[in-house]
Amino acid sequence: MKVLKVNPVVLILINMLVPTMYIFRHGTYLQTFFMVFCSVLLLVTGNVKKLVAFLVLYGAIYGICFAGIYIGLLRFLVGFFVIVIQFVPCFMIASIIISQYSSTQLLSALEAIHLPRTLVIATTITLKFFPTFRREFSYIRESMRLRGIAFSLRRPVESFRYFIAPQLFRCAALAEEVTAAGLVKGIDVPVKRTSYFEEKFRFTDGLVLFVFAVGIAGGFVWNAS
Amino acid sequence: MECIMRADHLSFTYEDSKEGIRDIDFKIDEGEVVLLTGDSGCGKSTLLKCLNGLIPAVTEGEVRGSLYMEGSDYRDLKMFDLNREIGSVFQNPRTQFFTDQTTSELVFPMENYGFSKKEMDGRVEKLKKAFHLDHILNRRIYTLSSGERQMLALACARTLGQKVLLFDEPSANLDYGNAMGLGRLIAKMKKKGITVIVADHRFYYLDGIIDKALFMKDGKLEVFHSEEEFKNSGYNTRSFDIFSIEKEFRQKKNFGPCLAALEQVSYKDILRDVSLKLHKGEVTVLVGSNGAGKTTMAKLLCQSIKPDKGSVSMTDLPFFIMQDPDYQLFGTSVANELALVKNDKEAIRKCLEYLNLYEYRHAHPFALSGGQKQRLQIGMALLCDKDVMIFDEPTSGLDVSSMERISGEVCRLGEEAAILVISHDYEFIRNVADRIVYLKDGCIRENFLLNRDTVTKLNEIFRDMEEGGKNEEIEN
Repeated sequence: MKVLKVNPVVLILINMLVPTMYIFRHGTYLQTFFMVFCSVLLLVTGNVKKLVAFLVLYGAIYGICFAGIYIGLLRFLVGFFVIVIQFVPCFMIASIIISQYSSTQLLSALEAIHLPRTLVIATTITLKFFPTFRREFSYIRESMRLRGIAFSLRRPVESFRYFIAPQLFRCAALAEEVTAAGLVKGIDVPVKRTSYFEEKFRFTDGLVLFVFAVGIAGGFVWNAS
Repeated sequence: MECIMRADHLSFTYEDSKEGIRDIDFKIDEGEVVLLTGDSGCGKSTLLKCLNGLIPAVTEGEVRGSLYMEGSDYRDLKMFDLNREIGSVFQNPRTQFFTDQTTSELVFPMENYGFSKKEMDGRVEKLKKAFHLDHILNRRIYTLSSGERQMLALACARTLGQKVLLFDEPSANLDYGNAMGLGRLIAKMKKKGITVIVADHRFYYLDGIIDKALFMKDGKLEVFHSEEEFKNSGYNTRSFDIFSIEKEFRQKKNFGPCLAALEQVSYKDILRDVSLKLHKGEVTVLVGSNGAGKTTMAKLLCQSIKPDKGSVSMTDLPFFIMQDPDYQLFGTSVANELALVKNDKEAIRKCLEYLNLYEYRHAHPFALSGGQKQRLQIGMALLCDKDVMIFDEPTSGLDVSSMERISGEVCRLGEEAAILVISHDYEFIRNVADRIVYLKDGCIRENFLLNRDTVTKLNEIFRDMEEGGKNEEIEN
């Protein structure tokens, strides 16, 4: 099946609007709409595995909230999870953005919506960090196994200590390295950045935005009636 | 020829240490190939960072004296002015690449400098031809081999049409074939009038094309105005022609029992019917181009992966010394790092004294310099009591004297244990090898004891690897 590619600016815009909308309207309708909308978006962009993972996550959080009504012990958690559950759609869209676009494409998209350069660079570097970390994590686990200090649940504190200290040093080094890589390639040039991957605004992007807008409008009608 | 770069009494001291460079004077003309060399920690990288502006932009410290680029003082130039003219090829791929995709990476500088889409298309097409990037573009960067990575890094450093190229230890991450390929590429760029500055310990791949050698010692600089002058300087420059090295052969004959073996092992499409035996008291060196399957063999021995066919037999997990020590250090102090291996205070003290690390025993392992970390790894091997050890490129990025010292350690460990070394450092191999195993395209092509009669075979293997590199020859 041909997967749909959604313009990153559209995705970022939607992701900014979702939490904002909660300010004006709340309740089941909006939450359900966002969840359905984002699920369909994950499906058409070919992220079936991610969709399943998010649905499981959603179900689990929902379960905790529901259980909280009956189990007094969980009640104090409900307040927290009620908020978290509303952000699941945002995470879903963020996962599409990260998997479909490279950091430079994001850089261009973020600039297109006129965010300040420093914020844009900080965001891109943060996004770059996760995949790097994931790759290094497997090296480190392997190395710990060969040293005979493998990650073990029987010694959680020790395992964690062996693992976390080198990570902190690596983060510091990585931050400097990434900054250097950006600087020698002119990330600080004070001209408007151009983009090699021109993301045209396609019909499908319009359609996505349209469905989103109709859904939100529907929310207002729902609440009014 | 016009002077393109000049340093005038340049000094730099790091904020948190006494190290740095002192009173540096030099002049580099347009189109010259300049070698910057000296022992580990002599200040090569520091000088290189001064040249591309990362000092003082990222690394803090005190700069005195002046640097000039085509007559303008560095102090009046912004980072982006400098890097419009200077392309940097770093040693570490993490530092080298900002994005995770090859095409994005290639156009990244042009986007930053605001090139139009049409201009970018034109340049990408040109670079694609010049550096044979057809198979490289539109891929994730971490799927590239080290040779491909080097090629991409080089293409990226030329996207803006930079006049000066800086290389930081290119030989550390390249096999012999790829390093020789890089040498030919640099020779071509020299013909086109591009100025190339290479900082490296090893320079066999630059034989015959060096115009100037800058030799650093303890932060001070000595300038040689020709390759000839540098070769006659008394510094250990014999690695210009690596095959001319005269070394004693180890000529050991009695090896102990077989401690680890791979029998008729196949793994995916990487290895086919590979057999290897490691004997007590024998140092086996595994050679082969990048991507030949050397690391996969090591992983099989470490039982990180299981073979599809054949068997791996050994009694215990081997001790594995990784190329990048940062992945292997977990202790809270140098002494604690060794205690994780063997909790014996007396043995640790002796070991640290032997390695000249005793005064650092309370320091955090990550606070050590690169060479010290490597020594700490050796210390771990000395204490570990394992009878099989694997070293992955233990000498990459080491100067000649550090390499000699590591050779001594490996030979010493080889008295009691079975050792497998993965290396493409010819001189090091000549120092330590009892047996040579040549891996090519997933099969073992040669397996012989190294002695006076078989050394020509080893030389042929290296020439064969160079030919392999030539097949990927580039037009520039």
